[in-house]
Amino acid sequence: MNRSYYGYFFVAPFFIGFAVFGLAPILYTLYLSFMKWDGFSDPVFVGVANYTRLLHDSFFYQTIWNTLIIWVFSNTPQLITALLLALVLNEKFIRGKHFFRAVYFFPHIITPVTLGVIFALMFDWQTGSINKILLALGIVQDPVNWFNSAWWSRIIASGVIAWQYFGFNMIVFIAGLQSIPSEVYEAAEVDGATKTQTALHITLPLLRPVFLFVFITSVIGGLQLFDAPLILGDGPNNTGRTMVMYLYETAFKNFDYSYGAAVAYGIFIVVMFFTAITARASKLRE
Amino acid sequence: MKTRKWLLLVMSVILVTVLAACGGKNGNNSTGGADNGAAGGGSTNAGGQTGDTGGAQELKGHLVIWTFFDQVKDMADQFHAKNPGVTIDVKLFPGDQYQTKLLTALQSGRDVPDIFDLERGYIGKFINSKFLTDLSAMGGDDLVKDYIPYVKELGYSEDGKLRAVSDHSSPGGFWYLRDVAKKYLGTDDPKKIGDMVNSWDKIIDLGKNVAAESGGKEHLIQNAGDLFDIEAYNTQPWVKDGKLNIDPKWKTIYETQLKIRQNNVDAKLPFMSAGWGNALNDGSVVLTSMPAWAGFMVDNKDNKANGKYGVAATPEGFYEGGTYRGIYDKSPNKALAYEFIKYIAGVEWQQHNLEKTGNMPGNAKVYENNLTTFKSPLFGDENILVPYYNTVKNIPPLKADKYGEDILSKWRTVAGDGITNNKSFDDVVAAFKKEVKNAFPELNVD
Repeated sequence: MNRSYYGYFFVAPFFIGFAVFGLAPILYTLYLSFMKWDGFSDPVFVGVANYTRLLHDSFFYQTIWNTLIIWVFSNTPQLITALLLALVLNEKFIRGKHFFRAVYFFPHIITPVTLGVIFALMFDWQTGSINKILLALGIVQDPVNWFNSAWWSRIIASGVIAWQYFGFNMIVFIAGLQSIPSEVYEAAEVDGATKTQTALHITLPLLRPVFLFVFITSVIGGLQLFDAPLILGDGPNNTGRTMVMYLYETAFKNFDYSYGAAVAYGIFIVVMFFTAITARASKLRE
Repeated sequence: MKTRKWLLLVMSVILVTVLAACGGKNGNNSTGGADNGAAGGGSTNAGGQTGDTGGAQELKGHLVIWTFFDQVKDMADQFHAKNPGVTIDVKLFPGDQYQTKLLTALQSGRDVPDIFDLERGYIGKFINSKFLTDLSAMGGDDLVKDYIPYVKELGYSEDGKLRAVSDHSSPGGFWYLRDVAKKYLGTDDPKKIGDMVNSWDKIIDLGKNVAAESGGKEHLIQNAGDLFDIEAYNTQPWVKDGKLNIDPKWKTIYETQLKIRQNNVDAKLPFMSAGWGNALNDGSVVLTSMPAWAGFMVDNKDNKANGKYGVAATPEGFYEGGTYRGIYDKSPNKALAYEFIKYIAGVEWQQHNLEKTGNMPGNAKVYENNLTTFKSPLFGDENILVPYYNTVKNIPPLKADKYGEDILSKWRTVAGDGITNNKSFDDVVAAFKKEVKNAFPELNVD
C-alpha cells in the first residue's frame, strides 16, 4: 500500500508557513522594487528605475564597504578566540570547563540592541566609562570622541558583534572537536606526535567542515549586520552605516518602500556573491 | 485502514486549527466590523446631536484610538466620564515603529482605528494623504479658532482643510537650577535671565565667563546643537516648489554654533543623552533648552526638585514635538469621533490636562485663563505660562510638509558633524545636498 503521501501532511504546515510568511513577502518585495511607492499613494510601475538608481548610488556602495570592514574586524578576532577557547575547553584536564563554556556563551543570549546600548554608553564621548578610565590612568589627556572617528566607530561595532558571537562559535567548534574520533588521537600518540603536531595535522584538517559551516554562516550573518550598528549610529559621514541599516533608513525612515525593496535585492546579490566566493574558495582547497 | 483514517482526521484537525489561527486577525476584524457597526449606530446618534459634548442628547457608540502616548488613556477616561454611553478602546503602540504600523494598517484598510495620533516629526507625511478626514467640512475650523497660530496651522493640509488637531502646544525655554543660576549669572529671576540671554552674542559672552569661572569644567548651555531645535521653525521651509531651499539664516546659525563650540560655551551633550540628563539634574550645565513637556527628565523623587527650577525665554521662541489627532477617512464613526476631537480641542480637557500633567495648552484661551494663576511644583512661584505664552504666540505658523522634518534631521546630522570637526559652511552644504539628493531624488537640488 502506498502511504508516501502522508509525508505531505506532515511537511504541509512548514510549507504553508513559508509560503505565507517567507515566499509571499519575497515576491511582493520583488514586485515593489519595480514600482514607485511611498506608502501613502498607490504604487506606480517604473520598470527598472529603482535598480538603475541603485547602480549609481554611491551611498549604497559605501555601505557595502562599511559592512565588509565591520565583518572582517568582527570575524577575525571572533573566530580566533572561539577556536582557541574551544581547543582549551575541550581538554580533559581543564577544571570548570562547563562553567566557562556557559559564561562565554552568555553574550549570545543578550539582544544586539542591548549590547549596542551598553557599548554606546561605555564609549560615550563625554560621559562614557572607557574615556573616564583612560583619563584616570593618564593614557589620554582629553576624552576621545570615538564615534567621530570612522575607524573607531567601525571597530566598536565590530567589537560588539565579536563579543556577542564568539561564544556561539566556540560551542560549534567544541561540537566539531568532539566529533573527531579518539582513535585518531591515540594513533598519533602511539606514533609519538607532539601536541602541536596533533593540533596542526589532525585537529585542524578534521575541523574543516566545521570551519566551512562557521565561515559561510558568518558571511551570510555578517553581511546582514543591523541591530547593534544601528544603535551605535551611522558614524561620521555614514562610515558606520551597514547595508541593512541603509535598507531600513530608505524604506522605513524615508518611506521609500520601492527603492528600499530594490536595496533589499541589491543586498541579496551582494550576500550571494560573497557566499559563492567563500564556497568556491573552500572547494578549491579540496 | 483504521490508522489511515485516524491520521487523516488528526491532520485535518491540525490544518483547520492552523488556518483558523492564521485567520484570527480576520476574525477580529469581523468583530471589529460588528463593533464599528454598532458604533455606526452611535455615530448616527452623535451625528444628530448639535449641542456641546455631554449636552442634552446622549452620545453612544464605540471608538478605537491608536496612539504611541499613554496619556491618551486619561483623555479617553475623561471623555467617557462625560459620555458614559461611549466606550473607547485606546491601543497604545510605544516606540518608533508606531508610524510604520499605522501606515501599514491604513494601507490595508483592515483593523484600522477611528482616530489616530500623529507626531510632529511625521505629521507632514500624513496630513496631505487620503487617510485623514476633512474636519473643516465637519465644522472643525471653529474648534481651533482660538488656537495658538502655529499649533493650528500644523493641522491644516496644503489645500487649506483642517485634518488634525492637537490638544497642546509644546513651547521650549531655558530651564535652570536656581542656585546654579545665582552662582554663575548672579540672579535666579527668569525675567532677568531671559534678558541676559536674548541674543546668541550675549550667550557666547556669558558662556565664556562661565567656562572661565569654572576652570572649563562647567558650561552655560548643553549643546551648540540646541540651535537646530530653537531655530528649526524660525527659518524658511526646506522645500519650495519642489526645490531644496536653504534659508540664508542657516549660515548665520552655523557660524554661531561654531563660535559656541570654539569658546567652550557648550558641554557638547546631545539632547536626551545620559550626560544631558545628568547635567539637567546636577546643574553642571547652567541652562538647558527644554520643551515644556519634558519635565519627566527631572529627577523629582520625593519632590526633592520642587521649587528648585526656573524657566527663561530663549533668544527666539521655539517648540519641540507635538501630537496631533485625526479621524480615519473611512471610519464609520466619523461623527462620534468628531465629538471626541471637539472635546480635546476644548477648554475643559485642556485645563484638566494642564493641571494634571503640566502639558501646555493648544488653545490660547486656556493660556490666558491661567497666565497669572498656574503654578507648577518644579518651578515654585514662577508663572511659567508667561514665558511660554510669549514664546508660542510668536512662533511663525507654518504648514507641515512631507520633507521638512527629514531634511531638518539630515541638516542636523551633517551640520552637527561640521561643528564637531570645525568644517566650513560650504563643505557642510555640499555634503548636505548630496544627502538630500540621495534620499529624495525627485527634489531639485542644485
